[in-house]
Amino acid sequence: MRTIVVASGKGGTGKTTMTALFAHVATGTRGIALADADVEASNLPIALLSQTISCKAFSGGSTARIDPQLCAGCGACVRACRFGAIYTPDEDDPFTPYAVDPWACEGCGACVYGCPALAITMEPQIAGEACTGSSSVGPIAFGKLGPGQDLSGRLVTEVRERAVQLAQVAEAELLLIDGPPGVGCPTIAAITNTDLLVGVTEPSRSGAHDLERLIGLAAKLRVPVVAVLNKADLSSEGAQGVRELCRERDVPLLGEVPFDPALAGFMGDLVRGADPGTLFAASPGLKAAAEVWDCVEQQFEPLAPRL
Amino acid sequence: MTVAVASGKGGTGKTLVATNLAVALAREGARVALVDCDVEAPNDHLFFDTEAPKVTEVLVPRIEVDAERCNACGVCRDACAYGALRILGRTVVVFDELCHGCGLCLTVCPRLALSETPRRIGEVRTVRAETGGSGAAATAGELTLVGGRLDVGEVRSPEVIRHARELAAELRPDVIVLDAPPGVACSVVASLRGADLIILVAEDTPFGLHDLRLSIDLAEELRIPAIAVENRGNGAGSFLESISRERGVPVRGHIPFDRRIAQAYATGRLVADESKEVAEVIAGLAAEVRRSSDAEHEMGEAR
Repeated sequence: MRTIVVASGKGGTGKTTMTALFAHVATGTRGIALADADVEASNLPIALLSQTISCKAFSGGSTARIDPQLCAGCGACVRACRFGAIYTPDEDDPFTPYAVDPWACEGCGACVYGCPALAITMEPQIAGEACTGSSSVGPIAFGKLGPGQDLSGRLVTEVRERAVQLAQVAEAELLLIDGPPGVGCPTIAAITNTDLLVGVTEPSRSGAHDLERLIGLAAKLRVPVVAVLNKADLSSEGAQGVRELCRERDVPLLGEVPFDPALAGFMGDLVRGADPGTLFAASPGLKAAAEVWDCVEQQFEPLAPRL
Repeated sequence: MTVAVASGKGGTGKTLVATNLAVALAREGARVALVDCDVEAPNDHLFFDTEAPKVTEVLVPRIEVDAERCNACGVCRDACAYGALRILGRTVVVFDELCHGCGLCLTVCPRLALSETPRRIGEVRTVRAETGGSGAAATAGELTLVGGRLDVGEVRSPEVIRHARELAAELRPDVIVLDAPPGVACSVVASLRGADLIILVAEDTPFGLHDLRLSIDLAEELRIPAIAVENRGNGAGSFLESISRERGVPVRGHIPFDRRIAQAYATGRLVADESKEVAEVIAGLAAEVRRSSDAEHEMGEAR
């Protein structure tokens, strides 16, 4: 099975829309499975009108809790904590027990080791959910991170593992991952050990700047990169910047998709089972995206088939 | 006064609103620090011509193992909540990208075999920017860009965000404008905590509305008042209005979809200088920030 991840660096360039379009085109020729690796703003299930089958709680790290009955107010925990997560609720009363700021606590447990009164315990937290669903184009795994939670990278890894299981059950030849924005922890989790990264960008300085950072990350992780310029006709100067970047960095620019405000509407029609041929003829955006997908598939031809 | 510009979905126009708002406030005479908290995809600097910035490295501790002293007892490995230490052969191996820098392993090591050295994960670029305004107020005002940048391949975005915010606070500006990263995870919390007001930039699309709800959830959890701005609207914005009403987040402006706006943004120009509609929305937001700021001062004086 091959794994292709769609990412961008900059947010809002059209990753999810592009992933959904690719899925519609690819599913005509091969079995596919999908993963939405943007667990902070999971939109691929919306784009595919997928039905949720099951969700399982994803336990994250732990947060310290101080038992006010046992706390002697010595302040050893404050000195042990490097994250400033322990505070005294009443500055004027030296005997008030200390308390933990759950937003600042990183769950390291240094305070537990530091506390001579054994007043601190680490309590496991539920960081979110890992879910599976079905859609007209194939099975999908996705995640929902709780507001303000840490560990989005680990939830992405969990979502990918589920997607691989779904793909194996469905005997899919291709796993298509909709990646998160940025180049940090969740993005690294989404693109590590994939066969190809499709960088979706837009014709702006921001789009080019952030794509360049993404190309740098992919090089470190040894994942080959190709690019797609979305909304290509919105700025000729911006588009030129992206073309130059791709040339300089030796990244194949597989295609340019024009801005098409009707794309979302056409997408809805596709999901609801309209004839792809008719729709693709009517929308320049859909047509261009389908052509880009053909180029993505060709990227694989030089590779030997996997055993 | 600290105002944060945020959104659950990426690419809704956070940077557009944050850069133009910071400039508008500075032209009105305020000393403004614009902090780029989107340290994974930092773009604020693309909208300003500046001199070379002052660069401050963001350093975190890296654990060094003294192989002479370490006897691979495994106490540090068992204490580490992040799995950053593993026993390989007769010594401990440290995985830097998993380490949170809590220092617990140093404390628990019975043979004092561990120590810390600084490791770079990113930088903060600080530089004064011209606001291009005229008149006495604009001369009095000033704008400083404080841009956090995570090194490519590193993962500890919240640490870079905290450093950038600390450097901005040291400037003691009248207003801090925070340009937050997309999403709702720890980086966003590091960007929003302690802000007095959150401006949520949203699109009236199925994705945009779904992610707006998540952002409102987070603002509620953090107990920070929020207002919303619609971007790329078609004039309707009806779903956005209804969610906002339902959740008590007033909509303070609609930026229309307009190819000219997209073109100005694409080439790093300040959109408010070229679009009357955007200028009006930004002026409204600046007024809102001033009101919150005045209320804050009055409360401070009353105390």
